[in-house]
Amino acid sequence: MNIVESQDFAVNTKSLREVRDFARNIFDKSPILQSQKDELVLAIAEAAQNIVKHAYKDNQDTTDKMQIKISFKDNELEIGFFDKGKPVNEENIKHRKLDDVKPGGLGTYFIQQIMDEVVFKESTGWHNHLVLTKKY
Amino acid sequence: MSYKVTEEGNISTVFLDGEIDMDKTEAAKELIMPLIEAKKEVHLNLKDVQYMDSSGISVLIESHQKAEEVGTKVTLKEISKSVLKVIMMAKLEQILNLE
Repeated sequence: MNIVESQDFAVNTKSLREVRDFARNIFDKSPILQSQKDELVLAIAEAAQNIVKHAYKDNQDTTDKMQIKISFKDNELEIGFFDKGKPVNEENIKHRKLDDVKPGGLGTYFIQQIMDEVVFKESTGWHNHLVLTKKY
Repeated sequence: MSYKVTEEGNISTVFLDGEIDMDKTEAAKELIMPLIEAKKEVHLNLKDVQYMDSSGISVLIESHQKAEEVGTKVTLKEISKSVLKVIMMAKLEQILNLE
């Protein structure tokens, strides 16, 4: 079963629930994805949260939209995140060490644990294009 | 997220429910932190929490650390399967008080 769906979301914390509902509805369409729905929804929500928290850190009142595109083809799941916030410097993306227990710094770790690959790509018209992939 | 708080002696039990994400963490902290600062032993009942992300986990860590600082304790009770999965992914099952 092939799936390609995309949706725009306001860049704010209130949208995170909508992001999760969007993802859950898609994952319910595939038995393979449904079996890992909770983890996949967490990865997507953490990536969306990073856009709100970091790319728009200094622009909380933005009217920009972020776009999330989920595709599942040939047993490969690809999730794209597009935003026009502050360009991400990949060198600054680090999760905290797990034994250094303190609040924060876990979102990126969760994404890396759940997905096979996490990369930033160039995308015309957007400032950041994050791609998460997982093979089944 | 909604909540209910019950008191019995020095123990405050906070029943949380719904989905705890970045949008809800301030409300959760405003509820839990004053109880800890009042040196109550806090039981967080997470049976009806269907979803928790890294922001929610941060609230659990912050609560735990604040409790240790003031000499009391936060215990997580009846943790839902989905929340437990996230706690274990963060390797916090040996750090936080789980029951």
